[in-house]
Amino acid sequence: MQKLIKDGSIVENQYSLIQDGDSYTDSNGIIPVDKWLEKPVPTAGVWLNSDQNPNLLKDVDLSQFAVIGVNFPAFVDGRGFTYARLLRERYNFKGELRALGHFIPDQLGYLLRVGFNSFDFASEVNLDSALKLHKTFNIKYQGDVSDPRPIFLKR
Amino acid sequence: MYQYDAIDHQLVAERVAQFRDQTERFLNKELSEQEFLPLRLQNGLYVQRYAPMLRVAIPYGMLSSKQLRTLSDISRRYDRGYGHFSTRQNLQFNWPKLEEVPDILAELAAVEMHAIQTSGNCIRNTTTDQYSGVIADEIVDPRPYCELIRQWSTFHPEYAFLPRKFKIAVNANENSDRAATQVHDIGLHIKKNAAGEIGFKVIVGGGLGRTPMVGVTICEFIPRADLLTYLEAIVRVYNQHGRRDNKYKARIKILVKALGIDEFRLRVEDEWKHIKNNESTVPAAEFERLQSFFTEPSYEALTDNPGALTDKLAESTGFSRWFERNTFPHKKPGYRIVTLTLKKAGQAPGDATADQMDKAADLADKYSFSELRVSHEQNLVLADVRQDQLIELWNDCKEAGFATPTLGLLTDMICCPGGDFCALANAKSIPIAEQIQAEFENLDYLYDIGDLDLNISGCMNACGHHHVGNIGILGVDKKGEEFYQISIGGASGHDASIGKILGPSFAQEEISRVIHKLIDVYIGQRTPEEHFIDTYRRIGITPFKEAVYAKVN
Ligand code: HEM
Ligand code: SF4
Repeated sequence: MQKLIKDGSIVENQYSLIQDGDSYTDSNGIIPVDKWLEKPVPTAGVWLNSDQNPNLLKDVDLSQFAVIGVNFPAFVDGRGFTYARLLRERYNFKGELRALGHFIPDQLGYLLRVGFNSFDFASEVNLDSALKLHKTFNIKYQGDVSDPRPIFLKR
Repeated sequence: MYQYDAIDHQLVAERVAQFRDQTERFLNKELSEQEFLPLRLQNGLYVQRYAPMLRVAIPYGMLSSKQLRTLSDISRRYDRGYGHFSTRQNLQFNWPKLEEVPDILAELAAVEMHAIQTSGNCIRNTTTDQYSGVIADEIVDPRPYCELIRQWSTFHPEYAFLPRKFKIAVNANENSDRAATQVHDIGLHIKKNAAGEIGFKVIVGGGLGRTPMVGVTICEFIPRADLLTYLEAIVRVYNQHGRRDNKYKARIKILVKALGIDEFRLRVEDEWKHIKNNESTVPAAEFERLQSFFTEPSYEALTDNPGALTDKLAESTGFSRWFERNTFPHKKPGYRIVTLTLKKAGQAPGDATADQMDKAADLADKYSFSELRVSHEQNLVLADVRQDQLIELWNDCKEAGFATPTLGLLTDMICCPGGDFCALANAKSIPIAEQIQAEFENLDYLYDIGDLDLNISGCMNACGHHHVGNIGILGVDKKGEEFYQISIGGASGHDASIGKILGPSFAQEEISRVIHKLIDVYIGQRTPEEHFIDTYRRIGITPFKEAVYAKVN
């Protein structure tokens, strides 16, 4: 299986991504969220598409998931940035938050700041080059998931 | 003026390094055209008809003479010796080389300037009244609030890939709105409540382009401490629910319209209740800190109307015309706000040559504490000029071509670059501006016509704000030929409205005749106190239409 970047290193992927239409009973799978909501089987996690807001999961105990994926159908579709923040800050998800799909390495700085810690890039992306961009700017004007304090509380 | 500290310097330096790396990777083909596109756009780099275009931010229009000299220097060494001041308090270079842009950015960074978020689907440069801090009738100085918003929106990690570009403008003046706040994605009006506390009336969903709309009020008063969390809530709702399937329907105005303001407001409030009072609530100390960058320069104790001014006003009609049109009352006695017009006949509106930029910088050093402003109407401003030095300044301005005494008149038009520079244009706009300037060169006549906004765009994108011109001109394409559609009745101030289309479009050579007819109707119908827009509002479009389309026989 394709490797991924997780917590700043290139690692093996432990989970299989279940697409719509696949069978979704793999206990090591990341299942489409609507399928899981129809039939909540034990699983590693669920994934949201860009039109599936995390409030779909507001009544679900997220601690049962090791991983939640957020799909970027195109890298310019920025809804996933908000979803990640909501999962971390509003729904308090502590597990692995994985970006899926067609985001690009140059977005890593922003993705890290909204709470993603794992990155399953499209297959054509060179992970060694991407790893070089796995860092945020040193200065952050706004609060973010890792530090909610805006710059005016830090100057 | 806002001064960078080590933190701000480091941020901009990191951005320059990042963009240098991105540009190199693009040139080495490690980044595809499609991937590089939003990355370069977020740094103000378009690819235009003839060359890239670089848009440099001038936050809320403030510019030091040193910064302006750097801009002129860059225009000479990296471009063709001029720059273009835009309606959004930016400066555009039309001919930089892609491989040199990182060097340009490094030179800008050295004088605390950048091109961050001047384009792309992110929160753009926040704009405000060019007379902020000095105009006599403002509620408070809006610049500290603009700076707060600038910092909040700069590299906001959640909003770098919005459905569409996002523009915020701030106003703090009940008598005038020189920032066109009602045609912005968010317009903020600074208010004081009954207890004297500062807050904002928030207007949302205005904008021009294909579907022009005046914004609607979402909230009458947000205390200033809550400004950032409330903005977060609005932009977050937009990021989640704004349409992404069609770029023309992706703006917040379409979402507000589709949901209705009440439903939109409910969603914003629902979002806000989760984040209100969080760490982004702004402490009073931060407002004080920001305010401290905008303290008054060392004004002298002077009195209004010194003899050196009044004598000259009596003697020289040229000077008194310029004084009347191009200068404004200052909050300090003995001072005046002066606009340097960039609307000389034969010069594209908003264009300034490197020599003119240097000259403007010299004038700022000599007369105005070394600071300037850039206005929405594409002019430059010296905000703090001693009244007894106005005559001298006027003489200097005449030499430099800044003294055209027509501010706010028909020939002080807003005009986009149009087909001469812009790849998206349906028609040229600069020659239309020239035609009208040539037709209406008689100053007495222009003064008689009085206040009138004329705005020209080369296509539906409305960069020249034609929809909110009292008279608007839009370039349209008819079977490969350039034509112009005329609208009347637009306005961009507190009385904002979208103009109505007069009827079938006109060929280029007809435009000045048509404008003449419109003016004739106005002059024939006006009451002594009425401006063009007032007469239009009273008598409606029909008399104008009839005059313009009347059969000649
Ligand atoms: C020459 C290169 C330029 C290009 C390619 C360009 C492109 C565009 C495009 C595509 C839009 C449409 C946005 C929409 O649909 O909402 C737009 C809007 C706008 N542009 Fe430009 N533009 C250029 C130059 C300028 C200049 C020189 C100015 C100022 C004089 C300007 C000011 C604006 C403004 C104010 C809008 C806003 C319309 C709104 O409020 O919705 N642009 N531009
Ligand atoms: S209005 Fe159209 S022609 Fe004019 S600058 Fe904007 S995109 Fe170009």
